[in-house]
Amino acid sequence: MTDKPSSAYPVSWYQFTEHPESDSCWSLSVGPDGRIYAAACAEGSPGKSVKLVRYNEKTDALDYLFSLDQMVDDPADSGRATQCKIHYSFVPSMHDGVLYMATHLSGPPIDLPAYSPWGMWHDKERCFRGSALLAFDTRTDQVLWWDTMIPKEGCRCLLHDEERGLLYSLSYPRDHFFIYDIAKRKFRDVGRIGSVNAQALFLDRRHRVLTSNDDGRIVRYDPDKDRLETSPYILPHDPTYQTGWHSVLYDVAPSPDGECVYASTWIANPRLMRIWPNEGEWGRVEDLGPTTQARDLTLPLSTFVDHCGGLVFGGDGYLYYCASRWKEGQTDESPRDLGKGSINMWGIVHRLNPATLEREEVFELKRPGQAAQYVSRAAIDHNGDLFFAHVGPRPVGIFRVAMPADRKKPNAHLPIRMWG
Amino acid sequence: MKSVKKPLDWHDPEVRALHDKIVHGSFINEGMMVAFPMCFPGVTVPIIADESRITALDATREGVIYGGTSGKRVHLFVGMFRADMGAVHDMGVVDGAEQCVAASCGPAGFAAFVNGPGGARIVSRELQRMPFSLIQEWGFTRKPFRYSAVPAGGERIVHAVTDPSGRRAFATTLKHLLAVEIETGAVEVVGELRGMGRLAVDARGAVLGFDEGDTLWRFDPAAKKLDRRAIALPDGDWAHAPKVWARRRGPGLLYTADGKGDIFALDEEGRFSGPLCRATLTPVGPMAVTHDGRVFGFCGDEISRMFCYDPDAGKVTDIGAAVSVIQRRRYGYVFGDAVVGRDGEIVFGEDDDSGHLWLYFPRIVEKTAKPARP
Repeated sequence: MTDKPSSAYPVSWYQFTEHPESDSCWSLSVGPDGRIYAAACAEGSPGKSVKLVRYNEKTDALDYLFSLDQMVDDPADSGRATQCKIHYSFVPSMHDGVLYMATHLSGPPIDLPAYSPWGMWHDKERCFRGSALLAFDTRTDQVLWWDTMIPKEGCRCLLHDEERGLLYSLSYPRDHFFIYDIAKRKFRDVGRIGSVNAQALFLDRRHRVLTSNDDGRIVRYDPDKDRLETSPYILPHDPTYQTGWHSVLYDVAPSPDGECVYASTWIANPRLMRIWPNEGEWGRVEDLGPTTQARDLTLPLSTFVDHCGGLVFGGDGYLYYCASRWKEGQTDESPRDLGKGSINMWGIVHRLNPATLEREEVFELKRPGQAAQYVSRAAIDHNGDLFFAHVGPRPVGIFRVAMPADRKKPNAHLPIRMWG
Repeated sequence: MKSVKKPLDWHDPEVRALHDKIVHGSFINEGMMVAFPMCFPGVTVPIIADESRITALDATREGVIYGGTSGKRVHLFVGMFRADMGAVHDMGVVDGAEQCVAASCGPAGFAAFVNGPGGARIVSRELQRMPFSLIQEWGFTRKPFRYSAVPAGGERIVHAVTDPSGRRAFATTLKHLLAVEIETGAVEVVGELRGMGRLAVDARGAVLGFDEGDTLWRFDPAAKKLDRRAIALPDGDWAHAPKVWARRRGPGLLYTADGKGDIFALDEEGRFSGPLCRATLTPVGPMAVTHDGRVFGFCGDEISRMFCYDPDAGKVTDIGAAVSVIQRRRYGYVFGDAVVGRDGEIVFGEDDDSGHLWLYFPRIVEKTAKPARP
């Protein structure tokens, strides 16, 4: 039972108007400065680059900071696959105010309609140069340095273990687990996980890094063993028709007390769960159930329609997340065209009480004239307002939700999330 | 790759066709690959990810696949894909080993050639008895391995190959040539040489290996005679050669490749021909010759691609990157060994974390229709 009307959560839409080809916002995070950073990605247009965007609370508008291709000396018109996006790969560095970001691939070369990392791996003129890691000083707005973190591959998701000065990432397409030593500026390939990237990494108290594999099992890197290990169990899924395959971690939000995380999976009918990674040999997983509606199980439905993302804790200590809703009969034969014209899908934000696990729908993310069912990530700024990243018809953008006064607090972004 | 002029018109059929070619044409474009996990699906768990890099394979005459893995530990396994089988059985861990360089199958026994921090060893046991049924009910045991020491303090093994009788295998170490009785594990030093790359057996039963000075040595098991520098390699980039052979069953040509990816054939008289063609990428990796004489192999590092050399057509074809959508949905990137199965299918061992056995069923070449008999 909701105790506030949805009007108590005014939603504002900020479109990436200065990047008309932007078709996805895969990364949205709070920086070490408490401000909101977003990636205006352009993966569907040949020869385009991702641009770094920041919400300016003084002007209530977006500031366009730079185009990544220019900062990392890999021009979008090079003829290679482009530095087209940042995919769940903003991570803060609190001691020095740096925001690290790593680029990802799939944007076609300027003169081709598509890019295949498998088909062009050995093509010196076409192959993606590699995921560029960039250190951005949020105190001075300067790019301090950049490096190629993963040669020839993109970075699907990134995590920062600040105590140890290490960045962890998953590569695409080979799904390898990489470690980057910031002080030494050196990367190391630990090994392959599978074929379906997990979309998130998270950290436990013992500095172990957790993610998942194709089968929906937890994969854990233990620095003491220098080895990737696989859990004996499979993450929650619907046993009616799913096996765990592709039930990889999609979005993971840390609980403010640091004892557990909340996660959703990257498969239709995504599951919400709570994971206590510090308990027992393999932690404890609580299945919090499906996040989206029942549907016709004889028809495949992609995660562009049937989706849950944007997990973030509010200043009130409740978990907020966005789950899609759609009109019965909605299909997704052309995912890129989804949301154009008639609105048959919606992005609904839910609020979950961690103490009781009760949840309620609190508001809808309304994008003028378009559907907004797909939210990739969410973040909370230092004022306690929530921001949601959208993937949909170009140009895309982000949502800002001015939270009710009793549900926000100063420095609500702390303790900060250390992964994308 | 042909590019299109800007701006792209997405309604242009040529643009759509190019898009589809880029996206879908990257993968296996003829035949079918099936990635089989290293387990009895639904009954056992797969071999641990970083212990399952498949680096050695051999097949019995009946087409049962034996092999070994490399990684944190070595596992020896048997793959059973005939009748109502469909399983990989982990025969056990070879303690203290990190690399399996070769597997050899005889009529009744199996041997694996392993290296580890404590030196090399040869591990053998009898073949796995086929269970009753892997759909209805089954029973398995793990029979103990026999361990045979390698001379010269466990000198590192480079490769091994089974002789045509199936009773013996021949292995090279860093400095020696060994003969191994597969069923007993008995080891005998039969020559001194520096092991380099993989071995092959020619149609007459002689064992061949790469020798110094761009040559091959030849060992006649019957006469126990080793001829150093017996066969000169043809002109080619042998300094960077991967030193691989196309595995085959029965008589016929042996194929190898140089550092440029040029493919050469060695006939039964010990004469080289070629280069016959050039593989699409380097280095050339594991290859095998199927029953109709076509050579299938992988080339290129990191994300390797399959190629086919058809001696009848005299050309090489790029088959694409490995992908499986049957049994497992998985990409295949790096492969460690290849062997021909009973019906000419080729089994590739995936030398990667969570390695799978990849069964490749080549495209059947359409026969020219013949007039009906009167």
